[in-house]
Amino acid sequence: MDKQRDFVLRTIEERSVKFVRLWFTDVVGTLKSVALAPAEVEGAFNEGVGFDGSAIEGLTRTNEADVLAHPDPSTFQILPWRGEIDPTARMFCDITTPDGQPAVADPRNVLKRALAAAADRGFTFYTHPEIEFYLLKSSKVENGVPVPVDSAGYFDNVPGGTANDFRRRSVRMLEDLGISVEFSHHEAGPGQNEIDLRYADALTTADNIMTFRTVVKEVAIEQGVYATFMPKPLTAHPGSGMHTHMSLFEGDTNAFFDASGQYQLSTIGKQFVAGLLRHAPEITAVTNQFVNSYKRLWGGDEAPSYVTWGHNNRSALVRVPLYKPGKGQSARVEYRAIDSAANPYLSYALLLAAGLKGIENGYELPAEAEGDVWSMTPAERKALGYGSLPTSLDHALTLMEDSELVAETLGEQVFEYVLANKRREWAGYRAQVTPFELESNLEIL
Amino acid sequence: MTRTTTTLTELARLGFADLGAAHEALAAMPDALAPTFALAADPDQALRLMGALRSTAPKAVDAVLRDAGATERLIRLLGASAGLATFLERHPECLAVFSEPLTAPAEPEVVGAALLAAVEGASGEAAWNALRTAYRAELVRLAAWDLEQPDGAQVVDRVAAGLADLAGAALDAALALARRSTRFPPEEAAATPLAIIGMGKSGARELNYLSDVDVIFVTDGGDREVEIATALAREAMRAIAELAVEPPLWEVDANLRPEGKDGALVRTLESHLAYYERWAKSWEFQALLKARPLAGDLELGERYVQGVAPLVWSSASRENFVESVQGMRERVTAHIPPDEVDIQLKLGPGGLRDVEFTIQLLQLVHGQADPAVRQRSTLDALLALAENGYIGRVEASGFARDYRFLRLLEHRIQLSRMRRTHLMPREEGQLRVLARASGLATTADGIVEEWQKVKHEVRTLHERLFYRPLLSAVAALPDDGYALTSAQAEARLAAIGFRDPRGALHHIAALTSGVSRRAQIQRNLLPVMLQWFSEGADPDGGLLAFRRLSDDLGEAYWFLRMLRDSSGAARRLTEVLSGSKFVGVLLERIPESVVWLETDGELAPRSPALLLEEAAATVARHWDDQAAAAVALRTARRREVLRLALGAILGVITVEELGRGLSDITTALLTGVLALVHRYGDGIEFGIVAMGRYGGAELGFGSDADVMYVYRAAGVDDDEAQRRAEHIVHELARLTEDLRLPLDLDLGLRPEGKNGAIVRSLDSYRAYYARWSLTWEAQALLRARGVVGDPQVLEAFEQLADEIRYPVEISPADVREVRRIKARVESERLPQGADPARHLKLGRGSLSDVEWFVQLLQLQHGASVPGLQTTSTLSALAAAVAAKLVPAEDAEKLRAAWLIASRARSAMTLWSAKTTDVLPTDRQQLEGVARLLEYPPGSASRLEEDYLRTTRLARQVFEKRFYGDG
Repeated sequence: MDKQRDFVLRTIEERSVKFVRLWFTDVVGTLKSVALAPAEVEGAFNEGVGFDGSAIEGLTRTNEADVLAHPDPSTFQILPWRGEIDPTARMFCDITTPDGQPAVADPRNVLKRALAAAADRGFTFYTHPEIEFYLLKSSKVENGVPVPVDSAGYFDNVPGGTANDFRRRSVRMLEDLGISVEFSHHEAGPGQNEIDLRYADALTTADNIMTFRTVVKEVAIEQGVYATFMPKPLTAHPGSGMHTHMSLFEGDTNAFFDASGQYQLSTIGKQFVAGLLRHAPEITAVTNQFVNSYKRLWGGDEAPSYVTWGHNNRSALVRVPLYKPGKGQSARVEYRAIDSAANPYLSYALLLAAGLKGIENGYELPAEAEGDVWSMTPAERKALGYGSLPTSLDHALTLMEDSELVAETLGEQVFEYVLANKRREWAGYRAQVTPFELESNLEIL
Repeated sequence: MTRTTTTLTELARLGFADLGAAHEALAAMPDALAPTFALAADPDQALRLMGALRSTAPKAVDAVLRDAGATERLIRLLGASAGLATFLERHPECLAVFSEPLTAPAEPEVVGAALLAAVEGASGEAAWNALRTAYRAELVRLAAWDLEQPDGAQVVDRVAAGLADLAGAALDAALALARRSTRFPPEEAAATPLAIIGMGKSGARELNYLSDVDVIFVTDGGDREVEIATALAREAMRAIAELAVEPPLWEVDANLRPEGKDGALVRTLESHLAYYERWAKSWEFQALLKARPLAGDLELGERYVQGVAPLVWSSASRENFVESVQGMRERVTAHIPPDEVDIQLKLGPGGLRDVEFTIQLLQLVHGQADPAVRQRSTLDALLALAENGYIGRVEASGFARDYRFLRLLEHRIQLSRMRRTHLMPREEGQLRVLARASGLATTADGIVEEWQKVKHEVRTLHERLFYRPLLSAVAALPDDGYALTSAQAEARLAAIGFRDPRGALHHIAALTSGVSRRAQIQRNLLPVMLQWFSEGADPDGGLLAFRRLSDDLGEAYWFLRMLRDSSGAARRLTEVLSGSKFVGVLLERIPESVVWLETDGELAPRSPALLLEEAAATVARHWDDQAAAAVALRTARRREVLRLALGAILGVITVEELGRGLSDITTALLTGVLALVHRYGDGIEFGIVAMGRYGGAELGFGSDADVMYVYRAAGVDDDEAQRRAEHIVHELARLTEDLRLPLDLDLGLRPEGKNGAIVRSLDSYRAYYARWSLTWEAQALLRARGVVGDPQVLEAFEQLADEIRYPVEISPADVREVRRIKARVESERLPQGADPARHLKLGRGSLSDVEWFVQLLQLQHGASVPGLQTTSTLSALAAAVAAKLVPAEDAEKLRAAWLIASRARSAMTLWSAKTTDVLPTDRQQLEGVARLLEYPPGSASRLEEDYLRTTRLARQVFEKRFYGDG
């Protein structure tokens, strides 16, 4: 820790950093920032930076306004898009109350608590997200729909296309920020992109996702386009998911790997998947937190609407991927419901908690889903015992409300806040008269 | 030459235990040796080892045995240290040490030269072996000297210093070897400065026979120097601690360096200083307190020590000093394996760590301003603190004696097997040997008894050293020989958590100055009470309340006696005063109640019969003076409420007992006051009906007393009866009014609420409820309980109530209506802007939810389930479970929520002496409330989380079963 602090202060001097941004995330998952002059950084390490938390969504109770932000020196990075003029750096923060206790409503703290609970059982939690997003001409809609920058299809190499420049530049910037990018390709929709972040522990990954979103938005502005992580911006095209690969390690050993298991998945791995499946419906209000999220979840294509798992089944909620022989360390499972607009701290905390619950209570893994679950009749699905994810935000909230798992993991106050905040969103949505209604009803009624 | 034989009896007298074996072994020894074994701590062991040694090296041993002095020394050593005996067996040539006359531990230079000479010309592993053998030979010499001293405790510091010097000499020799064997050019290696700084016990020159030697390596120059110096340091550490034929000496522990294990092994002086200036945490400074140039380049080492000194001594002014002191204290009482608690010499209460903690804390607090107390060794520091008036001389010398005692035991235990241990032996034989080796006792029981005495004294000395001198800052204590300035005393008070040290000092002055008996006793008592106050949630408030109390009680003999003689009562007093303003205020009014703290029995609620008897006696005594009678009755109420408050805080009574107790007290007061304004036969019958939580006998501190009044004309006409009843009601309100401890007689549950008549006749009630049989007023009857007044009218009222509250049948429409009303009042009654999740009475899943839930069940099933016919919420809930109306699991959630809300509400009143219905958000208040609810310190967030979770779960049950299809 001290070495890292030393490094930060030295770098600020050496690189003549003019501003240091302290980053943290509100409950909804929006990045917030407090700017410091370099001279204030040392004090911030020692005592934290006080600010009025009541201005931040869900961060504090209204009458307990003062909170402290404590920068985490291991997250220090110079922000590349600021160029050489007025170099600016950032660090992620932990939020505490004035008496030094972690602020209950700091999402980063929620994830840290969940990771600590896993560590108590000897586990570390690694994640690897594949983040999809759309590049649009602008944030304005034309004729009621957003306009993508191109119309290329999956894996097409578009000569001279914006997407290529865009990806090259983003990847470069992310790497400048110390974030390894594993692979990038063009997803199925026009203007849709996917960038995979490399495996890291869940806290680092969540920090990286927040950085990633900022980078992508910044690069888009630079190139005169607009990037969106909206779960389903175009009715006719696939939504933007954030499929996340997960694994648990016990020390240096991948706890999901068992050479003799089915798909080389260990008992712990199976129980983890069973936990994910059993608790998936109740955590969906967090992993898919917007009204729009449910347009993606139920939009067909390969969206994981049904609670199933499979090996090579592209419609399953949890996929157990194939990995190369001898690569036991890369044993993992992929959760496919979570979307690109989720708050990664809260979502990962819940996915971890759901999986651990499966391990703790020794849940049985149901049978593998074979065939396309989408094309089955409801009766078939019922016979096979395939449940479904909530069909709307409202539905998801009702399920979450009764979930001890979610309340326990988020803590009472975040739990209440998410429910209240999302109910408000649902009420606002419900109050709309949509073009769909006008089109289908106005002329005939 | 005649051989003298020794009888077994004589052997036993000499201290042998295994007499037969001793007899046989002695026969093989030179003549007349037996009596000398009496000098050994363990004669049997000495004899056995002597035999073994003789068979290995007969010549060397016999050379020793030719000299009486040498023989004595060898026998003492063999009897005390099997560990060193094995070394002598490996190296009999070292037996020569015994033949030289022993002097006091040699000067560091002499030892250093001896070790350097031993490694002269050697290299590689042979050099390591030579170094270690020479070290151990010196160790044998030192131990032999130590064992020869008539009073081991007196020389503990000289032995400890000798051991530290020896360790320094070993490091010097190791460094010399490293310079010779390094891969770097010899002249460059020679030119590279390397200082080895001793930390901890080696720095303080108070090393144990066997412990890790804490060091820090410092060089001077650039990267090249750091590189070479690092190689030298590593090589030197290997010479001491790497495996070789002659076993390693000890661990060289360099982990106190900047950044600990992850940091560079060697840094330049500048790099060290830069690091400390910027980053060091307080505990690192604490380690630096004892830094001393130990080996290598002493001049560079001295520069290092001079460089860090100002940083060390300003650490007490750092912001987190108080927290780090608390951290230190936690480390003192840190986790000790339970099976070791009773034999731990170092950790645990009354151990060496206690002594060191106390002294280091005092040094850090006062060393900032006064260089005189900046001493490295524990004993020197103690002396300096006493000489400069920070602690009493008597206590200081007592503390020094205890410290020497404990260290001597530690030395002897370690010497025995040459193992690093701090555990007293358990086995009787070993204890006896320890007693003899230390000279502190002669038997196993004797040494244990002495040790227990010392432990006890060490525990109390912390208080005497740290807290007592605080008094000297404000009161002249000529006999103690110390005088803190007020700034010094304030620094100490702030360090233990007083938020307003100046104010606290002022109170201490007021409590202790003067020549009165009270001041005298408080001077003795206050030090330990200050410590207890500092452990409470509000030390400042507690001290202030104590001062007021003491002012009130003045010279009262029993008070002083109690404080002086009953530490349990004094402790309880500090606990209630620093935890509850409510108690502070009441105690000020009724100071004599302090005496209850001595006995649990006094803190238990008085029985209702006793309370009523007292009320009746009071009324009879003041038959001619209504006002005086009312005062006496109100005073009795305050006194009994205080009793319950004390009992509740100290955990003597449960929340259920509290509810009943408070209700009984209210009843007793009302009974007495009603007797003042109404007599049977004065034309009407009059009764008071308890409602709400009073009716349920579930009152908490700060609850209103909900009541209704009923009368029946008995001799006068209806108008006159109403007029008389109203007069009684007004008089009741007037005579029960108490500004200090308000009793709010709340009539809000009467028919028509605030708009209704304040009192009605029985007939009027009957008519009203008949017409409005399903209103909140009728529902409120579920908790109606006639408590005070003429039995006939009360009985008639309860009969009437039974018909209404336990209807034989209730229609679905009526049930729906009850639910609807609840849904409406939920939003209406909650104060504007209040957070429903935190409102204890009307909030989500809190009191009113549980009560409505139970009341609906009572309305539905009361007629058929007799158990439901109770005014108590929890009893009715239990009855509902028994009748299978509610699953036990759901009932438990409701019960838990009801209890936590009730307890939190009472605790909030106790903490702040103000009644509020909202769980506080302020951290300090939450902390105070949490402590009253018996959470450990630092649980503000946990209490909040527990409350929110418990009530959320209750609300889930409520919504499902009350609003649902229930």
